[in-house]
Amino acid sequence: MSPDPLDRSTPASTARLVRRELYSSRAVASVVTGVLLIAVCLVLLFEAILKAVGDAPFLLDVEAAAARIGALPGAVPPSLLGAGSVFLLVLGALLLLLAVLPGRRARYTIPDGRAAVVVDAEVVASSLARRARVAAGVAPEQVLVTISRASVRVQVRPTSGVPVDADAVRAAVADDLQRSSVEPAPRISVVVAESGVIGQ
Amino acid sequence: MNTTPRLLNRLVLAVLGLLLLAAGAAGLAVLTLPAVASWWGSTAPRVGGWIDRLRRGTTLEGQSDTWLWLALAAALLLLIVLLALWIAAQGRGRTGLFASVDGRVGGHSGGHSGGHSGGHSGGRDTDDRDTGDDGTAGSVVITATAVEQALKAALLERTDLAGTSVSTWEVRGVPGLRVRVYPKKGVPPYVTAAEVSRLVEALDVVTGYRTPVLISIRSGARVRFSRAERVT
Repeated sequence: MSPDPLDRSTPASTARLVRRELYSSRAVASVVTGVLLIAVCLVLLFEAILKAVGDAPFLLDVEAAAARIGALPGAVPPSLLGAGSVFLLVLGALLLLLAVLPGRRARYTIPDGRAAVVVDAEVVASSLARRARVAAGVAPEQVLVTISRASVRVQVRPTSGVPVDADAVRAAVADDLQRSSVEPAPRISVVVAESGVIGQ
Repeated sequence: MNTTPRLLNRLVLAVLGLLLLAAGAAGLAVLTLPAVASWWGSTAPRVGGWIDRLRRGTTLEGQSDTWLWLALAAALLLLIVLLALWIAAQGRGRTGLFASVDGRVGGHSGGHSGGHSGGHSGGRDTDDRDTGDDGTAGSVVITATAVEQALKAALLERTDLAGTSVSTWEVRGVPGLRVRVYPKKGVPPYVTAAEVSRLVEALDVVTGYRTPVLISIRSGARVRFSRAERVT
């Protein structure tokens, strides 16, 4: 195999780009955690230096705190200990979930021969809403498209006295989805409201 | 597209989460389970005594307290530096250089340079820099701004886009383009994708490089308040 020397893009790098766009990097959680930890470490560092030079503690008496922990559950009121423990549990569970859950973003990928293409779900929804509106012959406010990873839900409120062809709407939406060929392909459901509204 | 250390982020968050869970569970256990409370009541003094012996053992002659406080301070300082590095590593990877070719590699007209930069990505840049000065006739550098401006100018002509942004990032050692487009409401994403992809191919021809490209079709506040594209 002798690729073009100026060809720096490979299918593997394209797939990697797409994957990294579809999942959260946990950068925000990391920065917040890092800043909080640095603050805690700074306080401890300050107290340790005060101890080393033999000065009185400033904010936190490390020895007294250690003694209190040693005297648990006696030294602090039970309600405070319980609340603090639950708080730590919740915070720990939150961090663990952030680490373990995939953190999928509301985005799709469109296959393309040249580049890695990702689309916000909102853009897909707005395109589907336009197609559905044209197919149903209603105003933009009468169509609501909800899109999730596995399903697309199109809600149409018909104009009073003008029936809406649900199958035509479904076909238009399916056609638009098929042209986008978003992956993974969602399931489509069309709901036409029982009561109409006064049209524009 | 950036070089955020994703695995490291998740590992650190998981370790911290487990530590906090353990601390919270220990607190609840001491509070609610008498057996654990009595065990801690008998263990804590022994731990305290051990720490006291350690402090006495590490206190130097003529000093009032142990030098372990200074060691603790140094360890904390190291931890703070590591945490700062971790924060600084988020979202990095932007580059100002799109391509650089030195005169000698260019002089061998394609065929030879294909041999040495074929397999390993990233090798090309370092090779170029290493051999940059010995007897070359000159070098060609394409800055990232030039490419970004060219693509941006082409995208600005489109009326179905509410906004665009193009930036260059290091992708596995080679510069790659991130093209963000904000189409107006109701514009089919496949049309936008195809059009931008076509512009990128035109850019390939202009620069001579087929570089990694990410086309991100996005929605944002600017789009939400814009008027829908009326032509159907």
